[in-house]
Amino acid sequence: MGKDVFEITVNILKMFVIFLMMVQAVPILVWLERRGSAFIQNRLGPNRVGPLGLLQLAADAVKFLFKEEFVPRQGVRFMYFFAPIMAMIPGALSFASLPLSVPIKIEPFQMLGQMWGPYTFAFQGYDLGIGIVFVLGISSLGVYSLLMAGWGSSNKYSLMGAVRASAQAISYELALSLSLVGILIVYGTFSFNEIVAAQTGPLTFRAFGAEHVISWLPNWGVFYQPLGAILFFSATFAEANRLPFDLPEAEGELVAGFHTEYAGFKLLMFFIGEYGHMMVASALLATFYLGGYNIPGVMPEDVLAFWQGVVGGNLASILTAVTFHLSLLLRIALLLWIFIQVRWTLPRFRYDQLMNLGWKSMLPWALFNVCVTALWVWFGHK
Amino acid sequence: MPTSAVVVDSISSVGLNHYLILSAILFSLGVVGVLMRRNIIVILMSIELMLNAVNIAFVAFSRYLQNMDGQAMVFFVMTIAAAEAAVGLALATTIFKKFREVNIRYFEHLKG
Amino acid sequence: MSLSLNDILFYFLAGVAVLSALGVILQSNPIYCALSLALTMVSVAGLFASLSAWFVAGVQLIVYAGAVLVLFVMVLMLFDTKTEKRAFSKGIVSGFFKIVSAAMIFAIAGGAASMSGDARFSKLTGVVSATQSTKDLADLLFKKYLFSFEAMGALLLFIAIGAVALSRIQGGTHAD
Repeated sequence: MGKDVFEITVNILKMFVIFLMMVQAVPILVWLERRGSAFIQNRLGPNRVGPLGLLQLAADAVKFLFKEEFVPRQGVRFMYFFAPIMAMIPGALSFASLPLSVPIKIEPFQMLGQMWGPYTFAFQGYDLGIGIVFVLGISSLGVYSLLMAGWGSSNKYSLMGAVRASAQAISYELALSLSLVGILIVYGTFSFNEIVAAQTGPLTFRAFGAEHVISWLPNWGVFYQPLGAILFFSATFAEANRLPFDLPEAEGELVAGFHTEYAGFKLLMFFIGEYGHMMVASALLATFYLGGYNIPGVMPEDVLAFWQGVVGGNLASILTAVTFHLSLLLRIALLLWIFIQVRWTLPRFRYDQLMNLGWKSMLPWALFNVCVTALWVWFGHK
Repeated sequence: MPTSAVVVDSISSVGLNHYLILSAILFSLGVVGVLMRRNIIVILMSIELMLNAVNIAFVAFSRYLQNMDGQAMVFFVMTIAAAEAAVGLALATTIFKKFREVNIRYFEHLKG
Repeated sequence: MSLSLNDILFYFLAGVAVLSALGVILQSNPIYCALSLALTMVSVAGLFASLSAWFVAGVQLIVYAGAVLVLFVMVLMLFDTKTEKRAFSKGIVSGFFKIVSAAMIFAIAGGAASMSGDARFSKLTGVVSATQSTKDLADLLFKKYLFSFEAMGALLLFIAIGAVALSRIQGGTHAD
């Protein structure tokens, strides 16, 4: 029993759609960032091109495409051109491994004079059993983009930005991974799907041999791991090089950091990488701590039954998946707005403050979180 | 749960020997690097290359014997490699601070 | 002999690994060496995944490609040695013997591997899911190899202290 043409085609198309979702979210995010920052700073922001200034993005994209291509004279051509491409890879690969909604079940149907069998399409690019390890590993490769940009540009500001970026990424990766260890201990799995499945229903936890159910709270990870959630969210700011951790591109000191020498579409690709990182971070946070695509109090079967009452057959299954996908997107959008709001509200750290925070504050707290979680699980299961 | 069934269970002509020969190639390239290069950091990188070659052999044997011990060994090798890199880079930094170069011939001046 | 998907994957990853390993030992700019080594590490992680050692593959990406090599590149960028004047060791005769000795190591190892008959991978028995194999690995590490594992932790602590002590000679971690 192999996979037939239809299934393979759909799976390949799925990858494209997920990649395009990530890329297409970037213009919207840029618009949101500009309008949002204007709103926070009591300005108007771009509001001339199109309704609400939404077409500003199209204008920007066209402008970016027509910019002059250039390489710094003493730069390294290969690294200079490869760095923006490398910036997009980790975000795209990680985003494709996240479950975005419930699987779509397709009943057998007739097409081109042939029966096409029942299918189940997972609403995710690919399902790796070791999802968390994969995402951590892939996103740790993102530093190479910054390093290559810094070295390839042959500019001291770029180089200093790149070195800062790599030091920062190594430091905060520890806190990031350790804050996830709590989640691993609680759920006992690396798979995103199993973590999301474990977060259905009302809040249930075991403590001192008894089981407690709090019916008015959803069974989300944030109630098991509040400290872990805070640490994870803070560390993702540093990993995505966003303010208050944007030392790699601190424009007061380093002109524009590692992308000083970049312009036009290559700069846009760095932005896609950065916003992709933000999206992956938000989606991970939603998956680990905010119940993934689950809707509190509603089971997938209920939604499926509701849609089957409205439209029958395969469309109901697709609409169910879309409903749950919107529920995940809502969370991602909220978290992305927090990213933007923080950027335009908080001032930037000094570099030694950044390192102190990472090594002397977040790392011990993450270790403390791991110990407390392990003890809690140990006593809970006794 | 089918986890990436494509690479797990297909009939293939690649066997244990292929992985072992690849491991041997990478290991001897690492040996050449250690013997021929003068830059301490590149020598360290060649050692990492050799350790990686050993890891490939461990994992291939673990897969062949269907025994997880080989993968546990890989963990120890990785730990050793990380430790070695940390100390080696610290030494390289010390040498660079003294001589403004990271050549292996300055190692003999480090004593005392 | 027809090539299955698994074979194509193996030959591709092995080719990338060998070519980038050649890059490590042949390029004269240390930064390029480090980036080639990163490529080797990534393809070795892919090889681990093709042997269905999923967790080890992920750890390879995180530890080697993500942390150790970034450290190398960072140190190299701090040193700012563009190209070395003498990247390779002197002496044609000694160089010849060095290469010959490496070739002999390869001949012994590769010969032993290829003479050992046609060893095929049998189908994985039992559960092949990544979560289960990771649990088995954890069982081994925390039961059978518990002492070695804890000793590794102690080693890492000593190494960390030693590295800090080494780099604090003559004040501070910065050159000059």
